[in-house]
Amino acid sequence: MKLQNLAIIFIVIMLPISIVLSAYTRNQIKTLNLQTSYDSKLVNSTYDAVKAFQINTLSNTSSDVASSKMRDIKASANVFFDSVANSFGLSGYNADTIKNYVPALVYTLYDGYYIYSPYTNNLGEDITLYNNSTYQNGQTVQGLKPYVYYSCRYIKGNIDVVITYTLDNYITVQGKVGENYVNKSGYLLDNIDITNDIVKYRNVEIEKENIQERVIIDDDESKKTAIYPYVQLNGVKYYLENDEKIFSVVNGEKMYLSNNLAEKYRNDYFNDDNDSAINYYKKAKEFTDWVRDNLGDLKYSDAKNENGESITDSDGKSVNGLYGNTLIFKKQDGKSIEDEDSNFNEHRIAVIRYAIQKNLSIAIANFNDYSNSNNEFQMPNLSETDWYRIIHHPSLISFLQGLAIGGKMYNGYAVITNDKTQEVVSEDSIFIVNGDQYSRVNEKGLNDKEDLIGYFNVDFEKKLYRINDENYYCYPHDELGSYSSIVNQTSVESYTSIYDYLSDKPDLAKAYYTALGRERYGMYRVNYDNYINN
Amino acid sequence: MENSTITVIAIILAAILMFVFPLMTLSDTSDDVSQLTVQTATSEFVDNIKKTGKLTEENYGKFIEEISATGNAYDVELKAKILDENIAKKSDKVSKDKIGENQSYDVYTTQILDVLEKDHVYTLKEGDTISVSVKNTNTTISQQLKNFLYKVTGNNSYQITADASGMVTTNGN
Repeated sequence: MKLQNLAIIFIVIMLPISIVLSAYTRNQIKTLNLQTSYDSKLVNSTYDAVKAFQINTLSNTSSDVASSKMRDIKASANVFFDSVANSFGLSGYNADTIKNYVPALVYTLYDGYYIYSPYTNNLGEDITLYNNSTYQNGQTVQGLKPYVYYSCRYIKGNIDVVITYTLDNYITVQGKVGENYVNKSGYLLDNIDITNDIVKYRNVEIEKENIQERVIIDDDESKKTAIYPYVQLNGVKYYLENDEKIFSVVNGEKMYLSNNLAEKYRNDYFNDDNDSAINYYKKAKEFTDWVRDNLGDLKYSDAKNENGESITDSDGKSVNGLYGNTLIFKKQDGKSIEDEDSNFNEHRIAVIRYAIQKNLSIAIANFNDYSNSNNEFQMPNLSETDWYRIIHHPSLISFLQGLAIGGKMYNGYAVITNDKTQEVVSEDSIFIVNGDQYSRVNEKGLNDKEDLIGYFNVDFEKKLYRINDENYYCYPHDELGSYSSIVNQTSVESYTSIYDYLSDKPDLAKAYYTALGRERYGMYRVNYDNYINN
Repeated sequence: MENSTITVIAIILAAILMFVFPLMTLSDTSDDVSQLTVQTATSEFVDNIKKTGKLTEENYGKFIEEISATGNAYDVELKAKILDENIAKKSDKVSKDKIGENQSYDVYTTQILDVLEKDHVYTLKEGDTISVSVKNTNTTISQQLKNFLYKVTGNNSYQITADASGMVTTNGN
């Protein structure tokens, strides 16, 4: 055979093969590209939703209260769907279509979480409800499911309690200890030493302090601002005006306390410098001692589900951190209960993770009944890094599944943490003010500076004021973010444990521990024991 | 006779293999590069609006210049969802600025460009959403070659597309 013939036969065989192969690879590349672009769109939309939640809650002073928080969360979920519809608009999906592919949005908060997913409205037997309700019986509604706490039941001897954990060391104990019903909550902390009314935490003396912030005064036309001393009680800041009147700012409007109450608050909180931090450590010690005395014998394996049975995963296997003979609250040698790797914290993280996983996998599996898509919805495996973020910060987890992307079905999720929130005073949410700037705790050389004072990071965000139906904004603190640790992170030291990092920096440690205590003490609590009923 | 037919076929095949295919690959790559440039420029443009809360004539001009530098003609669609008070709100204690609870209305390219022309800046506020999508309107060389080989491209087919959107996080003024 001639060379030409051979060449043609070769080409005739090879050409289709190479065309098919190249088409196949192109398809694969397209699928991958599409997947990456969907991933980034999902992350962007989730970020938008978190940002909306942040902006809404920061300008809403009652955002701690459950009903108000639910409104903020629903608003944030709307933003999510709007944003998803916007960014997938070019791909031809609108908001209603996309709802068929989002099995759940999970808002993890301080002591529990909400799942936003469709459910069937059930009005029950009561006929009067049928005429008055917004949604009909049996109608599918998109909304928030009941709040699920990070809690666990413990049964041992004469103890039968439910302990609710949070993103930090705060726990609530409810139930029966011996013959007594208890409903107690507080922080678990070691290393507190109280002698002769001097409170020391990790050998650092905690002292009273003078704290103040900037507020808009609307008395005149100029909308001037002024600096007032304040005290934060149960999530509300009370400012002292001209050593006489006391006001708080409720949803952007100034509210004065009545004269009687103002006098009481003046005497209780403004006669001397602010002692919230001292109270925080005193109460924490008291509570920790109580827990050790009464619940010191509780082991990992005493954790039961709501029916009093041992906790297992769906395959019947034991769950890591929820079995074994390790004592939960006992003082460990060389370790404090607030350390990341203490027995208590390992157990706490296991409970939180189990609580989220259990309900979420059910919610996602149930979504098959509501979606019009042919996809089989399943909970994806969340990576360990994502779990770490979920367990340490309030966050939003969004899921998007079942969109066709060429060769396969898209199955993705996004976790965005919300680090500017009044929900939790986490260990990295304290900024240190010195001079005219504020910095992160781990900025190099911060310990050598003088007059350090710490504040909550949210207090460096602008606050909304509403005067005669006009919006005004004001920054509570005048200081500017440090270029080396807030704007950029060019001059920061890394640490594994903030407590170890601070152990040889006494001045910084004092500012930090005082601020941490003060901000945690002032947080909104459901069972606030000092609440004055007026 | 037979020989020369085969030779002619061989030459045609060789020509296709040696010229058309490399040309197609090359033009495809150039489209990929354009695609990347346009996507990056669009994302940057939108990010800038999100962070500053305003769309300035200068930035818009720069954006158009940047994408035109790829040598193609583009159709740029702007859409802003402006947050407005919900007329059906249930209580007057409800903040009218709550994002996600209130209604919004859409403003499109021509309306935005009209304002840009007049005031040189289009201001947005916290909670508004901006989305930008870009499509090429000319036929790129890669598309032409493909059309020559196999006609699958319909009326509405574009090779280079980019879109970006997001919520504005600051009040621009």
